[in-house]
Order: sequence, then structure tokens, then C-alpha cells
Amino acid sequence: MRFKRVLRLLCAASMSVALVGAASAQDKTVKIGAVFPLSGNAASAGIHAKFAIETALDIINNPHPEFGNFPLANNAGLAGLGGAKVEVVFADNQGSPATGQNQALRLITEEKVVALTGSYQSGITLTASAIAEKYGIPFVNGESVAANLTERGFKWFFRVTPVATDFARIYFDFLKEMKAAGVKTDNVALVHDNTEYGTSVASVITSVFKENGQSIALDIPYAVNATDVQSQILQLKEKQPDVVIMIAYASDAILYQKTMQSLDYKPPMMIADDSGFSDPSFIKAVGKISQGVFNRSSWNVGPAGSPTAIIADMYKKRSGDEMDDTAGRQMQAFFVLCEAIDRAGSTDPAKIQAALKATDLKPDQLMMGYKGVKFDDKGQNILASGLIIQLQDGENYVAVWPKANAEKDPVLPYKGW
Amino acid sequence: MGKDAMRRLLWPLVALVIAIAYPFLFSTPFEQRLGALVLLYAIAASAWNIVGGYAGQVSVGHVVFFGCGAYAAMGAYAHFALSPLVGIPVGIIVSVAIAAVIGVPTLRLSGHYFSMATIAVAELVRLIVTNTDYLGAGVGLSGPTVPRNVFDLSFVSALPYYYLFLAVLVLTLGITWWMADSRMGFYLRAIRDSERAARSLGARASRVKLYAFMLSAGLTSVGGTLYATMFGFVDPDSGLGILISVKMLIMAALGGAGLLFGPLVGAAILVPLEEISNNLLGGKGAGLTFVLYGAIIVLIARFQPGGILTLINRLWTRRSKPPETQAAAGAVHAP
Repeated sequence: MRFKRVLRLLCAASMSVALVGAASAQDKTVKIGAVFPLSGNAASAGIHAKFAIETALDIINNPHPEFGNFPLANNAGLAGLGGAKVEVVFADNQGSPATGQNQALRLITEEKVVALTGSYQSGITLTASAIAEKYGIPFVNGESVAANLTERGFKWFFRVTPVATDFARIYFDFLKEMKAAGVKTDNVALVHDNTEYGTSVASVITSVFKENGQSIALDIPYAVNATDVQSQILQLKEKQPDVVIMIAYASDAILYQKTMQSLDYKPPMMIADDSGFSDPSFIKAVGKISQGVFNRSSWNVGPAGSPTAIIADMYKKRSGDEMDDTAGRQMQAFFVLCEAIDRAGSTDPAKIQAALKATDLKPDQLMMGYKGVKFDDKGQNILASGLIIQLQDGENYVAVWPKANAEKDPVLPYKGW
Repeated sequence: MGKDAMRRLLWPLVALVIAIAYPFLFSTPFEQRLGALVLLYAIAASAWNIVGGYAGQVSVGHVVFFGCGAYAAMGAYAHFALSPLVGIPVGIIVSVAIAAVIGVPTLRLSGHYFSMATIAVAELVRLIVTNTDYLGAGVGLSGPTVPRNVFDLSFVSALPYYYLFLAVLVLTLGITWWMADSRMGFYLRAIRDSERAARSLGARASRVKLYAFMLSAGLTSVGGTLYATMFGFVDPDSGLGILISVKMLIMAALGGAGLLFGPLVGAAILVPLEEISNNLLGGKGAGLTFVLYGAIIVLIARFQPGGILTLINRLWTRRSKPPETQAAAGAVHAP
């Protein structure tokens, strides 16, 4: 009897110690939730996003004087919160909008995160950010480009990445300059999947080109996660467009390149819209038979010793792969969020929201090649932009346009294999 | 007789009391939402159970009806700015009509061929919707992001969803119970055991199967409407993906197909298992969730293919009755 009572007391005592311990530890950490596709079709993108955020955490939580003026790098933790460390709780959306929303809810209510980032696929960003909006938790997205995400009148949603209109303008300007240099670019074909991403990007490109007086000659949609794309390639082969713009996720992009080789089709010029063609798995699988493909990117490694070069190095050590545009945009969004929390000097979601609204970062404070970060009323970064890169040797993309940022000159025509 | 009826009512009442009390016992938002999800999947799996369990016609195309309900709800909002609840009657009408159209030819097929035909129909519908702009094509349709009024059913708390789902589940199980006890229920079980024998004794097998298929379709569609309303979004993968059919099937089979409470028991095990294993393992990025999930399904299929309720029933009767009557007692609605 007495032994039991002592035992109970001991239990109670140890529990309260544990609770107090947890409370004091919580004062010094800032918890952020990250919902990414860590399994399923897009797992490769999700896992690389995880590496990117872990790299960012290393930079934020440990002193890195070699970064110079780069925000949050110099000292350990967030200076605005007395050196508090940032902790990220990762969750798997399994490629399902329902799971993404459930996990966002869990991170908010169980893990008590003060802000969220994610969720790669536009449809999942849509449902996950809806729950953050209901709970009044800031949601900072770095990579989903569907137009409607910022058209919902949300107050807690912020998007750092350039969107389809920005890219469409880059493509148009690039083609115009190529045309001036004597390349044929009149006949443009679009190949895109039928997801939110593929259809919205394709329709935006069509309308931007139309505004500038050029119509799209050929529009080829296909069902995502395709198992056979011969008919699409044969269509291209028959119509012989001057430029093919490809909008596809990684598994489809790989299939397209393999099918092009087996059907011996090479367009004179091929532009890819990031995503699949930037995925490390794409370059590993079919980089060598895709030499000369153009791509858009906001990521550029830059000269040795620059913050971007150091980041590229740290990321490669962690993930084993080269930094790509998608991972870079996710990492940039995470930096933007942490910078806002640091400036807010608080973990109160409303104060973080206010700080995000007041964000005004300059190009030299960013790792991505944006003109800055500044949000409009809808939460879209109005200074986002990008450049054109080319997979010249089949292994690494190099910046080729605009001239100011170019490492090499664009090489034409498309070489393939 | 009175005592027998009481015994039959006892467990359903206990289950109902537990279900009503659950949100108070497990009161964090995530636990309440988990409870709502269990009920939601139990509705869909119970609806599937009518044709898949009682009639023994293993449909793998039920996601079509689920999708009808989900798309009706989101379509009502996206195109007509109506409450997603309008999706319930519209979804029922459309899915019952589709069930009648596809049921007449496919229900003639027996065994695996019926399952294969329903898979084909489901994939066909998914591809058609994926290419139909009016239904959002590959992009999907979204519901109200900021609720205009209470009829938009867009709540922060999972509690209203929970009790709404509970009411629908009770209704679904009530209809199933009524059907199973009626002449139709006896026909269906006879057809499941041997269609030829049932026909020779005068059961109108084709017609009864079709009715069961239509009833099941209508109820599945309600599940779809509730799903889309809760998540506020549907696209071809989340509303018409074949995995949803498979989930209904697995939940019913795990709990006990052809038993009234089988699908509920299956959902009460599998939904928390999936969510909690994702919570614990998902963040590691190793895809372990599905390994664990799959392993448990394989174990159950290997050691208890009749479902968990069958096992419980057997243990229960062995303990409480002398061995002679064991076979006769069995499960409430088991053959």
C-alpha cells in the first residue's frame, strides 16, 4: 500500500519535471510545419524539399559568418527572438489533397507550429492552406504555380515563387530575341499534362503569346502519369513545329525523352517548363539524350565563395544531388518565412502575418535570382522573376539568358543524343 | 423473443453511445477529425457492403458513385454558387441512374468478371472527367474557401462534421438492417451462396441484384458528397481514383463483409492505423506508412479472411453457448 503511494508520487513528480522541461525548451524554439509529398508519385520532389529545408536550418541555427550579409546566417538561431532555434516538423501528404489537409491540421493543433510551408502539388497546397486560413496560421508557399491559389481572398497565404505569367513572359521575350538573331520561332507547339499545373501554365502561355500577337500553332494535352506517349510524339513529328514547349512532371518528362529517341524525333528547339525537367531523377535518367533542352530557372550557382555557391555545396553534401530550381524556390520561401518571424520578434501568428506583409527583401538578400520579395494584397510576390538555362552537356544546366546573367551563349539547334 | 430482440439491440446501442461520447473523450481537433474520417469511410464501406457483402457482387467501381456525389457537391458550388449540400440529392439521382445503366449489363457477369467490368467502368469515368472542362478536367473543382453561411458546411472544428456523419451512418446502417431483414435481404444472401439455386427457387436474381446495386450506389454517393464538403476540393485522383474503391472493399472485408457492423469495425481499425502511422513515420520520408498498412492487411487476409467481426462472433458464441448450436448462432446476418 505504502509502496504504491510512493510510486504514484514519484510518477507525478517525474511527469511534472518532464512538463516543466518541455515548457522551458519550447521558449527557445520556433516550430514550423512542412507538408510535402514524401511518398507517392512526387516523392522525389518532396524528399529534395526536405533536404533543402534541412540545409536552410543548418544555416539559420548555426553561425555561418562566411555568408556575409545574407539574412539569418551570421549568428546562431533567430536574433529577433533572443537566438531561438528553428525546428521544422515534416509531414507526408502522400500525394492526396485530403491527407495534406489532415496533416496541416495535425501540425497546427497537435504540434503547435506557428507557420506552415509546402505542399508542392498545387491541389494539395490548395486544401492544406485552406485549413491554415481557418486557424489563422501563416502559410508560405515557395513552389506551387497554379493561378487560383492567390485568387481566393486569403489573408494568411503568401507565395514567393514566380507564377505562370512571369514565366510565359520570359519565354516570349527569349524567343523574340532568338528570332532577332535569325532563329525560326514562329511555329510554337505546347505539350502539357492535364493537371492543375499543366493546364494552367499552358493556358497562360497561350494568352501571353496571343497578347503579343503570336498564336500557338499546336496544343497537345495528355493524361498525367502516362504509360505511352507515342501518339503525342508522332503528332509533333508530323506538324514539325519550330519550338516545342514541354510542361510535364518528372516521370512523364523521362518517358517523353525516351520516346523521342526511339521515334528519332528532334525539334529544332525545345523549352521545358521546369518541374520534371529540373528534377535530379530526370537528369540522371535521360540527361544524356536531352542535350540542348532549354529550361526556366530562378536558381543560378554564381561565383565560388558567394552565398549561393556555399548553399549549393551544403545542399549537395546533404542530398547527394545538385541544387535544382524547385528545391531552391522551396528553400527561398523558407528563408522568407524565417526572416519574417525574426523581424516580428514573436511567435504570435498574427505578428508573423504582419511581418510577412511588410517583407521587402533586396536581390542581394536572396539566394534565388528574384528582383526581390514583396507581397501584394493577394499574397503574391510581385518581384519574382527568372532566367533561361540550357542543359548543354547533358549533366548540368547553365544560365544562357538574359545576357546580364548568362554564363554561356545559347546553343542551337537542339542536339538530343 | 423479447430477450432475443434486446440482445440484438444491445451491441448497436453500446456502439451508438460510444460514438456519441467519442468527441468528448478524445477532444483534440485531430482526434475529432480522425473520428469524423472513420465515420465517413464507414458510410462508404457500409454502402459498398450492400452489394459487395450481402449480395456477394464484388464491385471495384464504386468510386464512380463516390465521385458522383463529390462532383455534384463541388459542381453545385462552382457553377451555381449553391450549397454543396445540393450535391446529396443530385449525386443520388445521377449515381442511381448510372448504376441502373451499368448494372444491367455488368450484373450478368459473375465472380471476377463483374469486378473487372466495374474496374473498367471506373477508369473510363475517370478518364472522361479528366478531359471534361466543365468538371474541372485534371485540375478539379474547389468548394467555398470562406463560408458564406452555415449551409456551406465549412467549419473550423470537426465536431459538426462528426455528428453529421454519425447521423448519416446511422441512417445507412438502418437502411441496411431493414433491407437485410426484408425479403430482399434473404434473396441477396441466397444469391450470394448460389445464384443458380436461388433462381431455381423463384428468386428474381437479376432484378434483386440491380436494386441492391442502385441502393448501394445512392448511399455511396452521399459519402462522396460529405467527403468533398469536408475537404472542399475534388479532382480526378481524389474523387475517382480506383484506390478509393479498394479502400471501401478492404474496410468491409477486414471488419466482415456481409455483416451489418463489419464496415464500421474495418474503418475504425484502418483509418486510425493509416493516419497514425503517417503521423509517426510519414515525416521521415521513407514511405514506411504503406509498408505497415500493407503488412497488417496481409496478416489479416492470411489469418482471418472472414473479417474481425466473424472472429469475435465465433469466440463469443463458443463461450456462451453449448457447442451443438454454434453453427446456427453464427453472426447476426451470416449465412
